[in-house]
Amino acid sequence: MINLTGINKYFFVNTPNEIKALDNINLQVNPGDFITIIGSNGAGKSTLLKAVAGVIPVDSGCIEIDGQDVTNLPEHRRAGDIGRIDQDPMASTAAELTIEENLAIACLRGQRRALARAVTRPRLERFRQALRDTGLGLEDRLRVPVGTLSGGQRQALALVMATMTRPRLLLLDEHTAALDPKAASLVMDITERIVNRHQLTTLMITHNMEQALRFGNRLIMMHRGRIILDIGSDEKNRLTVAELIAKFASCSGTVFDNDRALLA
Amino acid sequence: MDSVIINSLQQGLIFAFMALGVLLTFRLLGFPDLTVEGTFPLGAAVTARAVVEGVDPLLAVLLGALAGGAAGAATGLMHTRLKVNNILAGILTASAIYTVMLRTMGRPNTPLLAYENVYGQVLGWFGLGETHLSVIFTLLVLTLAVRVVLGWFLNTDLGLAVRATGSNERMIRALGVNTDNTKLLTLIIANFLVGLSGALACQAQGFADVGMGIGVLVAAIASAILGETIFGGNRVGRLLTGAILGSIVYRGLLALGLRLGLPAEDFKLMTALLVLLVLTLPNMEIGNRMAKGLPKKARLFCRQAIFSPGAAGKTAGARNHGREVDN
Ligand SMILES: Nc1ncnc2c1ncn2[C@@H]1O[C@H](COP(=O)(O)OP(=O)(O)OP(=O)(O)O)[C@@H](O)[C@H]1O
Ligand SMILES: [Mg+2]
Repeated sequence: MINLTGINKYFFVNTPNEIKALDNINLQVNPGDFITIIGSNGAGKSTLLKAVAGVIPVDSGCIEIDGQDVTNLPEHRRAGDIGRIDQDPMASTAAELTIEENLAIACLRGQRRALARAVTRPRLERFRQALRDTGLGLEDRLRVPVGTLSGGQRQALALVMATMTRPRLLLLDEHTAALDPKAASLVMDITERIVNRHQLTTLMITHNMEQALRFGNRLIMMHRGRIILDIGSDEKNRLTVAELIAKFASCSGTVFDNDRALLA
Repeated sequence: MDSVIINSLQQGLIFAFMALGVLLTFRLLGFPDLTVEGTFPLGAAVTARAVVEGVDPLLAVLLGALAGGAAGAATGLMHTRLKVNNILAGILTASAIYTVMLRTMGRPNTPLLAYENVYGQVLGWFGLGETHLSVIFTLLVLTLAVRVVLGWFLNTDLGLAVRATGSNERMIRALGVNTDNTKLLTLIIANFLVGLSGALACQAQGFADVGMGIGVLVAAIASAILGETIFGGNRVGRLLTGAILGSIVYRGLLALGLRLGLPAEDFKLMTALLVLLVLTLPNMEIGNRMAKGLPKKARLFCRQAIFSPGAAGKTAGARNHGREVDN
């Protein structure tokens, strides 16, 4: 279980430009929850995931993972528990290293790295198995540098890398946003399959309202650093995109405004 | 054998250790480490002082290399713990090293011809005399040993973490690696090799001088680039072997230039021009035609490794950005 209590994160404190990126966030994530997160530009969605991952420190509040207070742990000390993928396909894989090398790095998530050979036969078997699940045929191209893969292939590989060790929490920050529609839907399919198969607790930011309704068992909506809506599975299944946007307007008092939003 | 070949082989092998060090930091870690201009003569100075003090030559060379490693640690700590910019950290260490060398030797130059050197010592164990060929053979064995050890290291879990730090620091941190430590480790290993290079150089030439380091960095970069350009390949093994061969080719070119009557005082300028040429050729019209023959990876290295370390991967990916998934 992940518990966020009273999280605050301000930027440009004590200046006229002060931004409340996270404003008293309270969130309890139950084991196996797959939560989709939506909100207008600058709502604080990315900041929330970065705070949970430890990429940025919070000003106050407490972050607990399975009862352990990780609020003050640096990113690399939390990494064993948290898999994370960014919007940028370049960010979650190492371009100069081969597929098998990237996977070898990922399979030691959060563990000590020593002087044992990285790419071994048993590991290769594991990599092939994991890649086969994506259905992209990458298991036959293990020695190809990742920089030569397409954006969609790289995000699919990033997914395998993020989930290979079954982290307690998977954080996806618009991980299909930079892909063309076909690749995006493919990567979403793979995401759903992997998350479901391993019952991974997942937070997924998306700007696609339809995606936000279709995937996961819970939906939260953010606005100006706050969580303004938290919808459970039943209600989520009944909602339409139009109703969701109407709900946003009534909760926030403004119209939904995200430059990348896909409302249809 | 022709003296041009002998000379370039010996020099090339001695400087190969430095080229390997520079390959580690500049190319694989994406860290433009300027410490090495100081590390090279430091290795020589420490070795010279030790030999004069009566230390066993082999141990003296090891001390020189360790002093190099310590210099790398200084730069690494400055950069990671004190958050000093990477280039500035190297410059500060290199500058401080100048004083350290003068203090170590007590004067700017130490002649060593009167003492037994490490080559004579090692060859003596096998009952061999110290000839050009036997020295080259000794160096070759050591170079190959270092090549094998580095090749092994860079393919271990830790070695991959080092390479990933150079390729995508954000990613490897998200996977639980403290990149401060991988940077520090790489700087220590690289500068150990550069110190070793300086130590072996002073043993071969029979003196150590505080001015030995001037221009060695650009020569090492030229060697690494030559190696990657000529011998190509994007697997680390190829890069390592390329740096060694590149160093020999580079020294060969210099020796050839001398033989053809080019004045020695022009060498540093010509080296700088050579590096500039290889770096920019791929960007120019004629260069594009000529560069067709170069391996793609080498061209990437040329353009990016030096000018914007760490950016190579981003561009490689950017080309593919947004392309469809083929399934
Ligand atoms: N490092 C930073 N320094 C200053 N301000 C920041 C920083 N990171 C985020 N912000 C600000 O915090 C607010 C929240 O940003 P965040 O990136 O979390 O928004 P978001 O909900 O992810 O938006 P988008 O949908 O556009 O991705 C924004 O106003 C942003 O300008
Ligand atoms: Mg965002």
